[in-house]
Amino acid sequence: MKGVDRTMEKTTKAVKNKANEKKTNVNASENKISEDKIIGKIIGISELNVKILLFENNVKINDILVYREGDEVRKFEVVQIDNNIASTVPFDRVIGLKKGGSVELQEGGLKIQYSDEILGKVFNPYGGLIDHSTIKKVQERNVYSRKLSFKEININNEPLWTGIKALDFFAPLQKGFKMGLLGGAGVGKTVLIKEIINNVYKRLKSNAVFIGIGERSREGKELIDEMEESKLLDKMSMVFGQMGENPCSRSKSVYSGLTLAEYLRDEKDQDVLVFIDNIYRFIQAKSEISTEMKRVPIENGYPTTMVSDITDVEERINSTENGSITSFQAIYIPADDITDEAVQAVTTHLDGQVVLDRKVAEKGLYPAINVFKTNSKSVDPEIVGEKHYELVQETLRYLARYEELEEIIAVLGIDELSEEDKMIFFRSRKLRNYFTQPMFVSENYTGIKGVMVDIKDTLIDVEAIINGEYDDVDESKLLFRGSLHE
Amino acid sequence: MIIAYKEKGEIMSTHINNLVEDKLKKIKEEKNVFDTGKVIRLKDYIIEVSGLENVAFFEKVIIRGKGMGYVNEIKENSVTVAVVKETSPIEIGDTVNTTGERFRAIFAEEAMGRVTDLFGIDLLTGRAFEKFKYIDIERPIVPIMDRTAVNRPMQTGVAGIDLIYPIGRGQRQLIIGDKKTGKTQLALDAIVNQGKIIKEKSNKNDIVCIYIAVGKTKKEIKNIYNELLKRNALSYTTIVAATNDDKTTVLSLIPYVGLSIAEEYMDQKKDVLVVIDDLKRHAEAYREISLVSNKAPGREAYPADIFFLHSRLLEKGCQHKNGGSITILPIVETKGGDITDYISTNIISITDGQIVLSENQFRKGQKPAINYGISVSRLGGAVQTPEMKKLGANIRRELLSYLETKEVYELANIDEMSPELREKMRKGKEIEKALRQHKFSPLSQEEIQERFKALGEDAK
Repeated sequence: MKGVDRTMEKTTKAVKNKANEKKTNVNASENKISEDKIIGKIIGISELNVKILLFENNVKINDILVYREGDEVRKFEVVQIDNNIASTVPFDRVIGLKKGGSVELQEGGLKIQYSDEILGKVFNPYGGLIDHSTIKKVQERNVYSRKLSFKEININNEPLWTGIKALDFFAPLQKGFKMGLLGGAGVGKTVLIKEIINNVYKRLKSNAVFIGIGERSREGKELIDEMEESKLLDKMSMVFGQMGENPCSRSKSVYSGLTLAEYLRDEKDQDVLVFIDNIYRFIQAKSEISTEMKRVPIENGYPTTMVSDITDVEERINSTENGSITSFQAIYIPADDITDEAVQAVTTHLDGQVVLDRKVAEKGLYPAINVFKTNSKSVDPEIVGEKHYELVQETLRYLARYEELEEIIAVLGIDELSEEDKMIFFRSRKLRNYFTQPMFVSENYTGIKGVMVDIKDTLIDVEAIINGEYDDVDESKLLFRGSLHE
Repeated sequence: MIIAYKEKGEIMSTHINNLVEDKLKKIKEEKNVFDTGKVIRLKDYIIEVSGLENVAFFEKVIIRGKGMGYVNEIKENSVTVAVVKETSPIEIGDTVNTTGERFRAIFAEEAMGRVTDLFGIDLLTGRAFEKFKYIDIERPIVPIMDRTAVNRPMQTGVAGIDLIYPIGRGQRQLIIGDKKTGKTQLALDAIVNQGKIIKEKSNKNDIVCIYIAVGKTKKEIKNIYNELLKRNALSYTTIVAATNDDKTTVLSLIPYVGLSIAEEYMDQKKDVLVVIDDLKRHAEAYREISLVSNKAPGREAYPADIFFLHSRLLEKGCQHKNGGSITILPIVETKGGDITDYISTNIISITDGQIVLSENQFRKGQKPAINYGISVSRLGGAVQTPEMKKLGANIRRELLSYLETKEVYELANIDEMSPELREKMRKGKEIEKALRQHKFSPLSQEEIQERFKALGEDAK
């Protein structure tokens, strides 16, 4: 299955260009690769794999080879070298490409801007600007080069509150944390990540990088527009490799984005927020490339190198003495299968996770959090305090019993429950309803204004519900509101 | 070039003569400007050809006297060709010619109201369209910065959609459900309702509908044609079809062709509504081609790029900054009401929401058989008028809370319930009843508001 790419446009342009050249007597050799720079020739082409016969052996993995003919420029990244044949991944679709074309080597590999001017800008995965802006001071850096040493890594402990009840209560955050937002298709990952951007980034006003990988272009554009409208784009850089683009583009946006985040951390000594939507798409893009390279896949078609690929990325997202990187990573769960290898490979790296559940979403309870699978390293009396810890345990105990009771009720009805179970049943439903929350970013959809809730208020409310202070309040009164006691 | 040579004098002109003679000799040997090769390997519709040295990726090639195909891989010593048309069986040694042009589809304005295939043949008459232009089967995606927010309503005339899970112009809304739950019907309802909207508006040429049939039977397609004809929907609708017995390669390309046609209309600043019926069949066709081409199978034996196959297709749905838009209603068929299988979740993760149809609802006579619990519209109120938004939010909340409560209290005695709960149950039932609607009986926004006004009023 092949599509047709920009070539048409390019070729017409190229033809026009050639005509112009003739008129103005411009030497066409500028747009051709000069003989001494030719490093190889194209000998094989498929959708995602262009084979290049190399004449010299100074080509390395991740190097970029360039084919140029008139106005037509195509770039390929080397992923494998067998003797003198390089397998490369094209940056764009390859329709119209022919065998025999000459390529040259691009110095420095894949690079992105590395300066103060990155803030407020929108990039494509290859470091190009897509928001029609320009950057004057050119200072570039290879996107793969940064690796943190053991010595550099700093484990920071300052708490970070999001104002989202369920998140702060069940999965409290600290600066420098890696928080995963897991969920199947359409259960609200993107809404949650946008709400966090709204609550955390807007409040802290710290520098941030948004990395879009394989998600909807519509959402990307909406985010850019929203940030611009609320004048918040000035402290954020964005990189987009969205789902309509080829796997090479999609897999690169994470490297480019992290390079920007590292600049802010290393050179500017900043605490940086990194939002990644969606890290699963990175592995997915890698699988597509790996399949085209005819490498042997592991289960479910994932690439053999999946674990090391994800580790390379995740190990870069860390805090140092200079600054911290706190990351929020949306993780798509394919076919609602949380045991999926790719999902597991990512969650190993997380300090905390919020799992969104279709069963909860079906009941119209948002954020659709599965409280049993949601957790964080901070749920520890030494970090969040004795009271918070105890309340989490008690709430989970209630909700676990509630699940059992639901099954009993399905058979026997409510009337058959003991008084104590009835109490647990009704209070649990209230707890469940209490953890729903109107979101700022979905005001348009729900028609209810968003709220932020202080963790102290959440703790007071939860304790009150468990102690029965709301027993005579109708459970629907607890849906979609902020704190109860004000 | 020739002029330049001529000026250089006699030596050059002899040189030219030689060149011309060479070419003539080649033409006589049937080796003219284009390459000629031979079929050396056959595997269903994927064939290997040797001798085509100067062929481009995705170039159209002719298997002489027998068919047509496109280049889908160039190897060191041969090329692989995917056959799209085969009039008689291809054999080893058959001659294959390059054409110097990309494999393309055609766009013809006169295809409006007709049924067309990938090659621009009017299936109703069997003749090719006369006035047409070539278009790429797949255009580059619309860049992020050329898109704008989706916020204009695309009314379907179905209360359950327009009120509760609304669709906007430029939205991709999946219609998913088992066999015989009314998926195609819902899409046809939406198409027919566009006629109503066109009538109300003064400028009639603003809305275009494209129905893309992927691997449907000829009978089914004819049926759909007749249904649309009867309801005067063909003046603004084109049917783009790959029938069940077309080559699998054609099945896999047809949605792209349909969307390419849609993009032509979007360029003219029109609002296009595209129905793809259906993507499960499309995924299966693509899986078949991948496995025949020896690609490694992944989950459920689908290839690794099955997500990309649909993501780049559905990303063509957008609100363009030029004012035009493409709304896509892709259809996916499920088994046993399970929307969490691989292909369904893939597509759900691409679209801006889904209308889930359930057999259970259908059996109870609740038609359209929308399962309101698991249907979603990610854009929601953003694409509704203020009145519809307010009413819709209330009705949706009431309905969802009723459905959830119903589940838990199913066995409880209704007389012992609190008055609040009893009222909730009564109202929920009323809403369910009001949502019932016959096929091809679209409601205007005013009619919907009239019908639900009382039910949405005293809601919290």
